[in-house]
Amino acid sequence: MQNLMDAKTLAYINMFGVLGTLENLCELVPEANEIIKDQKPISIGFDVKGGPAATLFFKNGKCRMEQGCGACDVKLPFSSPEKFNGLIDGTVTPIPSKGFTHISFLLKKFTPLTDVLSKYMRASEEDLKDPVFFERSTRLMLYTIGVAIAQIGNNDEIGKFSASHIIDGSIYIGIKNDIGVELICKDNRLVTVKKPPEKYRAAMIFDSIETARALFDGKVNALTCIGTGKIEMHGMVNMLDNVNRILDRVALYLA
Amino acid sequence: MSFPLYTTTKSDEWYERASKVIPSGVYGHLGPAEGQFIPVNRWPRFSEKAQGTYFWDVDGNKYIDYMCAYGPNILGYCDEDVDNAAIEQIKKGNCTSSPDKIMVECAELLVDTVNTADWAFFAKNGNDATQGAILTARAYTHRKKLIFFNGFYHGVSPMVQKIDYPGVTPEDVANNLYCKWDDIEGLKKTLQENDGEVAAIIAQPYNHGNFFDNAFPVDGFWQEVRNLCTEKDIVLIIDDVRAGFRLDLAGSDHFFGFEADIICFCKALANGYNMSAFCGKEFLRSAASSLSYTGSYWMSAVPFAACIACINKLKAINAPKLFNDLGTELLTGLKKAGAENGFDLVTSGPPALFYLRIANDDSMLLHQDWIAECVNRGVFFASHHNHFINAALTHEDINRTIEIADEAFKVVKNNHPELFK
Repeated sequence: MQNLMDAKTLAYINMFGVLGTLENLCELVPEANEIIKDQKPISIGFDVKGGPAATLFFKNGKCRMEQGCGACDVKLPFSSPEKFNGLIDGTVTPIPSKGFTHISFLLKKFTPLTDVLSKYMRASEEDLKDPVFFERSTRLMLYTIGVAIAQIGNNDEIGKFSASHIIDGSIYIGIKNDIGVELICKDNRLVTVKKPPEKYRAAMIFDSIETARALFDGKVNALTCIGTGKIEMHGMVNMLDNVNRILDRVALYLA
Repeated sequence: MSFPLYTTTKSDEWYERASKVIPSGVYGHLGPAEGQFIPVNRWPRFSEKAQGTYFWDVDGNKYIDYMCAYGPNILGYCDEDVDNAAIEQIKKGNCTSSPDKIMVECAELLVDTVNTADWAFFAKNGNDATQGAILTARAYTHRKKLIFFNGFYHGVSPMVQKIDYPGVTPEDVANNLYCKWDDIEGLKKTLQENDGEVAAIIAQPYNHGNFFDNAFPVDGFWQEVRNLCTEKDIVLIIDDVRAGFRLDLAGSDHFFGFEADIICFCKALANGYNMSAFCGKEFLRSAASSLSYTGSYWMSAVPFAACIACINKLKAINAPKLFNDLGTELLTGLKKAGAENGFDLVTSGPPALFYLRIANDDSMLLHQDWIAECVNRGVFFASHHNHFINAALTHEDINRTIEIADEAFKVVKNNHPELFK
C-alpha cells in the first residue's frame, strides 16, 4: 500500500465505486446487458471483515447494489480489506461461504460481466475511437469517481478532514446538465446519487464529454481547464474547494 | 446611464499562451482557479498598466480596482512619492554585499510606528513573515505546537497549510491544533490538553477568511487570549499581512486594544514594492536573532526606500480614517442600491477591507452573477474575498461604482424573474 492511502478506504471504493458501477454498466452497455438479461434472480454478497459489506442483485436484466449482505444467494467472505482489494485487482480468487450451487453464475456470468466493466473502465485508445464507447466509458468513469469521492470523504483520514469542512447541501458534478452525479453532504458525511440533482448549492460542470475524459485520463490540467472555462464552478465554491481536495485523492486511489 | 460590457479577447489569448508555459496559466491567488472569478470569462486575466485606483487590462478595459493587487496597492498604483523614493534609491544601489543603511532607517520607522515593535525583521512575502514569527516562537519557547483559528490563512509553508492540501504530509501539520474563532472556552480546553507544549497562537486580528462574512472578535476576546498567552508563556502572533495599516498604523492589535508579541506585515508596507516584516517585543529579540533565516533579496534597498515613503505618507494623510470614510460611503451606496432593487446585500468586516455577500439565496448564485456584472462593466471585485480601499479612490469613483452596481443589480433581477415576483 502506498503512503497516504489505506486499504479500508480502497475497499469501500472498490465495493461501491467499482463493483457498484455494474448497476450502470448493465443499463448502458448492451454487451453487459446481454450477459444477464435471461438470468433468474440472484444475489451476490460481498462481506469484508473490517470493511464494507454489500450485495449485488441481478433481476429482470438489471443490476442494483445494496449495503449489507444479510440476505444473498451467494456470499463471498473476505478476511480483510486487502483480500477484497485483491479480488478487484485480480490477485485473489474468492471462495463462497454460501451458495455453492450458484458457482456457475460466478464463473459464466459474473466474471464476464466484470471483464466488460474492466474494458470500459480501463479503456484502450482503440476502443475510445468509437464515439458510443467513448461516451459510455466516460459516463461510467464519472459514476465511479463520484462514488469514490463520497467513500474517501467518509473513510480516508485526510478525506474526512476535507469533508469536515463541507457545509450541508447538494453538489452537482457533471457534464453540461444531463450527465452527472449529485453529492449530498449532511453533517460532513457524503452520499453520491448517480443522477443530476434538481437543485444544488454548488456545481462543477465540464463543458463537454471530451473535457471530462481528458481530465479523467490525466491529459489536461484541471486548474487550467477552470481558467479557460472548460470546467465551470459556481455556487458555494467553498464546498467545491473541499471536494476538489478529495478528488485529488480519488486519482491516488483509482490510479 | 448604461455601461458598455467589456470583452476580454486578448486576456483569453494571453491566458492560452500562459497555460502552455506556466502551471495553470496564472497560479495562486491572482489566478482564475481560486474561486474568485465566477464565471471566469467575465474577468480579465492580465493587466497592461495601472494608475491610482485603476488598472487597464490587455484589452484596454479600465477598472476601478477594489482588490488593490489583493492588498499591496494602498496609496494608489504608481504613487509618485513612493515611486520617486524607489527611483532615487535604485540609482544608489539595491541588492548589495553590505545592506544599505536605509534598512536601519526603515526598521527605526517601523519600531516608532508599530505599537508592539521593539525590532523589525525583514523578508519578502507575507509567508516569510508568518514563518519567521513561528520559528521565533518555537526558538523562544522550545515547544512545537501551534494553535490556529478555523478559517485561517497564514501563508503557504507546509506547516501552515492543511493536511488535505497537495504536497502537504500529515507530519508537516502534526503539531497544529485548531480552535473555533471567538471560542475562548474551546481555546482554554485545547491549552489544557496540550499544557506546556504550545509555542504560539497565530491569528488574524479579525476573522477575514474567504467565502464567509468577516467577523470582528467579540468583546474581550483578544484580552482573554492575551492573558492566556502571558499566563502560559505562549507567543501571541498576529498575522496583519492582510489588514495591516488599513485599520491602524500602529497595528491591528492596537486597533483592537491588545498587544501582540509578534506582528506580521507585508501587503501595505511599501505600496507594491516587495517586502515583508515581522516585528516583535524585546523578549523575543534573541530568539529572532538565532534563526537560520534569510534570503537573497531580503535586504534589498529599494523596497525599504519605498516603505519609508509609503508609511510616512500613510501617516500624513491619516490613511485609516480616510479608508474608513471612503469605505463607509461606498458600502452605504451599495446597500442602498441593493435594497432599491430587492437585494439583501450583506456587508461585513471593516469598511477599509469590506466583504460583500448577497443573502437572497443560499447558493451564492445571485451574488456571483451580480459581482460578474459589476466586473464586466468596470468595477473590479472578487467573488468571495474581502476587498480593499486605497487612498487614490475618489468620491467620483465611488459614485460610478454605485451606478454600475445599480445597473448590475437590475440586470441580475431581470435575469431571475422567478426570484423577484
